[in-house]
Amino acid sequence: MLGKGGKRKFDEHEDGLEGKVVSPTDGPSKVSYTLQRQTIFNISLMKLYNHRPLTEPSLQKTVLINNMLRRIQEELKQEGSLRPVFVTASQPADPLSDNFREAQPAFSHLASQPLLPTDFVSTTPLESCLTPASLLEDDTFCTSPTVQHDGPTKPPPPALQPVKDSFSSALDEIEELCPAPTSAEAVAAETAADDSKDHPSESNVQKPEGFPESRTAESKLMDSLPGNFEITTSTGFLTDLTLDDILFADIDTSMYDFDPCTSATGAASKMAPVSADELLKTLAPYSSQPVTPNQPFKMDLTELDHIMEVLVGS
Amino acid sequence: FSGAGGGNDIQWCFSQVKGAVDDDVAEADIISTVEFNHSGELLATGDKGGRVVIFQQEQENKTQSHSRGEYNVYSTFQSHEPEFDYLKSLEIEEKINKIRWLPQKNAAQFLLSTNDKTIKLWKISERDKRPEGYNLKEEDGRYRDPTTVTTLRVPVFRPMDLMVEASPRRIFANAHTYHINSISINSDYETYLSADDLRINLWHLEITDRSFNIVDIKPANMEELTEVITAAEFHPNSCNTFVYSSSKGTIRLCDMRASALCDRHSKLFEEPEDPSNRSFFSEIISSISDVKFSHSGRYMMTRDYLSVKIWDLNMENRPVETYQVHEYLRSKLCSLYENDCIFDKFECCWNGSDRQVKFFTRTSDLPNIVMTGSYNNFFRMFDRNTKRDITLEASRENNKPRTVLKPRKVCASGKRKKDEISVDSLDFNKKILHTAWHPKENIIAVATTNNLYIFQDKMN
Repeated sequence: MLGKGGKRKFDEHEDGLEGKVVSPTDGPSKVSYTLQRQTIFNISLMKLYNHRPLTEPSLQKTVLINNMLRRIQEELKQEGSLRPVFVTASQPADPLSDNFREAQPAFSHLASQPLLPTDFVSTTPLESCLTPASLLEDDTFCTSPTVQHDGPTKPPPPALQPVKDSFSSALDEIEELCPAPTSAEAVAAETAADDSKDHPSESNVQKPEGFPESRTAESKLMDSLPGNFEITTSTGFLTDLTLDDILFADIDTSMYDFDPCTSATGAASKMAPVSADELLKTLAPYSSQPVTPNQPFKMDLTELDHIMEVLVGS
Repeated sequence: FSGAGGGNDIQWCFSQVKGAVDDDVAEADIISTVEFNHSGELLATGDKGGRVVIFQQEQENKTQSHSRGEYNVYSTFQSHEPEFDYLKSLEIEEKINKIRWLPQKNAAQFLLSTNDKTIKLWKISERDKRPEGYNLKEEDGRYRDPTTVTTLRVPVFRPMDLMVEASPRRIFANAHTYHINSISINSDYETYLSADDLRINLWHLEITDRSFNIVDIKPANMEELTEVITAAEFHPNSCNTFVYSSSKGTIRLCDMRASALCDRHSKLFEEPEDPSNRSFFSEIISSISDVKFSHSGRYMMTRDYLSVKIWDLNMENRPVETYQVHEYLRSKLCSLYENDCIFDKFECCWNGSDRQVKFFTRTSDLPNIVMTGSYNNFFRMFDRNTKRDITLEASRENNKPRTVLKPRKVCASGKRKKDEISVDSLDFNKKILHTAWHPKENIIAVATTNNLYIFQDKMN
């Protein structure tokens, strides 16, 4: 299990990370930290959705995995708030009570599906999540008032050419370090099966057929007991997400949701840009000049398109 | 123990192994709990198939003074069956999570066994005589025609082959929404507690149709749930005191005299996190998988993923001792998270209490050892007096009785010495989660996946 080949490579990075304290601000290891964090996030998501459909999953395990996801999410949020690229001025500071509410839709975002019709987030414009391309072409993004927040921290934009080159090399590094988990991030269902082949040591059986089965079981649960949260929690208290994951699994919007139009709901615009931010941060060590929010935004979309294609492996 | 053997150091020898030999493990045979009874004469195991197997120790052979009695199968019965929860469309596993013996009050033995949802009280009784000489029945049970009866006789008991019968005397059901992880019998021997992920219930052994809820940590909004109960145990002497551990590494001590619902703890035991060891997995590895009081009740022991901690009940802010079980796994936590090994629930146990007191003059000379399992079929013992520790292996390769087990060593990094095993070679499918120590003797039962090993100290 902890043998040779790809795993050993991964372990090497692990040893460098877990053996000592790694703060996200350390120079070259910052990328590895971010990548490992993303890997763990992906693994956690897969664990939550791939439990055996026959018996109840362990509540303890579900809670621990969920806490892990929340913690990573909090970190990402905090890092995102350091570079408030897409946060509008109207964004209120998070009251403590909001954290839990945002936790849920945030998961849904990074699990590549839109906000849910849950109790607390009811006004999500799903259309905007489903058709990001048209919105992203909208020039209002670049000239939105949010840009002003970045003023003191953002140097002038770099040239297109050098960034692109460094971007490719960053992409290579990303692929090299964790090809399997990042592929799972893109399309939960299909690549979960692929990932299980890459990681035969995983104790859960992850067949392509198995996943739809667990979905239908859970959607049955959702249908039969809509009001009884107590019951649905036994299958993992993110069952709401699972249902929509079924519905929208094919559409990966995690990289594209920079829509300030959804800022009213708060969570969407907060969480979605963070994944882009993450990429931007990973670019930072590789480019001679730091990237600004405006200029690379449009450019990054095509790049992100490209990356997603590569990562998904389609 | 490792190093030079002192006068008190125990030398462990292989005694017996029970279970299938082949490497193909049938899922139903996976051992899920091991427990000695109060005298040590009986050793019970529960498995994933819902069966309980009880072994009985042979009476010591006076002529063979160099070995203690062997354990042989005494009784086997199906304790729990798989059930189906129609409301949730989910199976309820028949796996036996815990067995706890009641102290013996008469000729019969009683134990509590539990799966995820239902606790059962089983009576195990012997029958070695049977009545013969009925007037109205033939020996084979057929009824005689009364008109053929010409004389009357008094039935008498005649010896028969020993039969051990197990019968369920009480069934404590429908009290747990979540999965039961612990049962613990109170020192009053009348009540017991059962704990699931979010609640702890108090039962009376005679009453099955109701229980008292004494701890409830379920939040009003389940989405706010971040912590679950992982284990619970009654204090060995104070019948009003119990502890429960959590997935966040805390232990709460509660006093039932304080209030009916013990949601406010009397003591909270928690060690502050070591910032130099912080990682993504800090919370998960701090989750406590087992908690056990010492026989005196002064101390308690907790097991988290990488260590065993001894707590003094009088000191809440940190444990008095910490023993590293397999620190070399700390750099492998990501892989162990990926393959779910990080969620393995290891148990721990204290050595037996009634030691040969007459040989010792000081309490500190009393052996004070804790034991717990690890991977690769290794198990570890920590001597609290000498601060020495040892790693042993449960494998059929060492199955020569009265041969002292060789200590094992795991090489964390760098050059591997001869006889050492590197971390990467460890078999993480061979885990020892359940171990038990005879209450009076130096006999230990160690469960690998589907085999039960019995070791005892070398007697001379």
